[in-house]
Amino acid sequence: MAAPLTTCIRQIERTHSPQILQKLKHVRGTLTWSCLVQILRNASYATIRLRKQEQRKNQIFQYAGEDAKGADRIYVWGNATTGALGIKTYLRPKRYGQHEILTQKKPARLRFMDVHKFKVLDVACGYGFTVFAVKSNTGHKILGCGINSDSQIGFHEEPKNSGRILEYIIQPAVIDLPQNDPATLRLKQVACGRAHTLILTEKHGVFSLGNNAYGQCGRGIVEGEIFSKKSSIYKIPSLPENITKVVCGQDHSFFLTETGEVYSCGLGADGQTGLGHYKATGIPSHVVGDIRGEKIIDIASAADCVLAISEKGDLFGWGNSEYSQLSVVTDATQVHTSRHLPFEKLGKIVKACAGGSICGILNDQGQVFVWGFGILGKGPNLEMADFPREIPPTLFGRNELQTDTKVVDINCGLSFYAALTDKGDLYTWGKNKWGCLGLIYNKDQYFPLKVSLPAESKMVRCGVDHMVVHSKSYC
Amino acid sequence: MSTLKPLQLTLAILKPDIVAQPHIVRQIKNVILRHGFYFVRSKLLTLTRAKAEEFYKEHDGKFFHNRLVSFMSSGPISVHILARENAIAEWRKLMGPTKVLRTIYENPECIRGQFGLTDTRNSTHGSDSPEKAKCEINFFFSEFDIQVWEINEAPLFSNRKVEFDPVKGVHIFVDPK
Repeated sequence: MAAPLTTCIRQIERTHSPQILQKLKHVRGTLTWSCLVQILRNASYATIRLRKQEQRKNQIFQYAGEDAKGADRIYVWGNATTGALGIKTYLRPKRYGQHEILTQKKPARLRFMDVHKFKVLDVACGYGFTVFAVKSNTGHKILGCGINSDSQIGFHEEPKNSGRILEYIIQPAVIDLPQNDPATLRLKQVACGRAHTLILTEKHGVFSLGNNAYGQCGRGIVEGEIFSKKSSIYKIPSLPENITKVVCGQDHSFFLTETGEVYSCGLGADGQTGLGHYKATGIPSHVVGDIRGEKIIDIASAADCVLAISEKGDLFGWGNSEYSQLSVVTDATQVHTSRHLPFEKLGKIVKACAGGSICGILNDQGQVFVWGFGILGKGPNLEMADFPREIPPTLFGRNELQTDTKVVDINCGLSFYAALTDKGDLYTWGKNKWGCLGLIYNKDQYFPLKVSLPAESKMVRCGVDHMVVHSKSYC
Repeated sequence: MSTLKPLQLTLAILKPDIVAQPHIVRQIKNVILRHGFYFVRSKLLTLTRAKAEEFYKEHDGKFFHNRLVSFMSSGPISVHILARENAIAEWRKLMGPTKVLRTIYENPECIRGQFGLTDTRNSTHGSDSPEKAKCEINFFFSEFDIQVWEINEAPLFSNRKVEFDPVKGVHIFVDPK
């Protein structure tokens, strides 16, 4: 009996793996047949398990199909008190005992668009409200949510004919445009100011709704007009056909044509309309000054300072200059005529943004320059800069691993910035009121920091105290 | 007890940018109440441009006069007579500095730091001296006589025989029962 057991063990020692040998070494002297069988059985299970583990390590899981495309995702964050984020449960919690959410400090997905199968074409953020231009199965639609005290997101009576007109709308609701055939309506762009909305359509011109106290809706000013609970939406009559872009400041509006001409209307008390006077006007007119004859491709204005870019990459500015925004050409605090801003060594400028006291530009190399007053993103101090200073590209993710990352879009609210890179990353910095930077905390952010979004950002829009990002999911 | 110190009156205006946002009006009223002010009279009105120019005639000629006037006449404003000891200084302290874009960094806790938008759209207005307060109260509340109020109503406020009525938006006298 003893002899075959030892031969057997010796044979096992020759053929089997080191783990089994280890075990055998411990029990060598007291080994019986049944014991050996048990050890061998366990050992074979162990080898199988190990082999499977190794296989699993090498395996790559591809849950989405090879051809899977990213789906559209809308993320929102910031001040939720007015319902501008469009997420109903924040203000009407689903379950008893749940609290309202009044500030959303990190990106939250707006599922409304996915649930209703709306494809978002454009978004605009105003002061406490958001407007979406969407494409649905039945045609293009305008949706709005947030505060509606100046009828800036239309007339919403609920229930119908009850006289109960909603002042706050907490999830996107359709704004009916005055159209004979709504199915043929094609939307191009939307823009929002402090309390007015402009809607640019492909063939039917520009529609405006909301507050017109300064003529920002492109119609005559009526003294003492009351804007709340109004159902009227106007089509701006005196505009050319070929409008390609509409831009809203706080209380003024710009219309950019295909040929690069700029029309403006609204509040001009700081010269922000650029019409050569400081009056408010309701009839869109040509902006005067240095931009005459230039082909303007973009205009930026979030508050009262305005920056415009020509096709050649030159920068023009007018409006408020209390914080040295335009101090390169003038010491005046208000400029009512467009002026060429002769900054040097900036390259070809492709994008600009102008907030309350801050300005920023982006050139074709992807470099970001900032000036003005406030948190400019260049270190832990409040700064006053009267000429553009570059933010190091490293802060936007250009490092040894990603040497080709560059910023493709910049945007700003009244006192914060947002920049988008070609990799789909979003960076925000500035005054963090109501958590509008989406960085999870409430502190001010003194340099660009990446917002953690589970998707690739394509478009960012800043309001006064909230932000909306249109992005594509990774798969 | 603070019954010995006389109450002072001041005029507070919530400007059109705030009145357009009812939830902020509620928040500011709560702040005012929390800081021990009494709402003596309240009014919601819209200024015409001429009226606004008259109200701000002391700023005539300054670069911001035009935009201030056009802003103040752009929508409804909410006007209040507030009472408190040392009301003028306290209300100005609570409001914070005028330049909002600077205030949001330097004094973010005050009303303008929290709710102001830009230097023009700066939420609130307050009288800066007792003479100005008298003048401004007369401007908006011509039916209100400060001397009569001081004799008849001020003692009731001093003795805290008033309570805030959220419907009327002012303090009313509590029944002595």
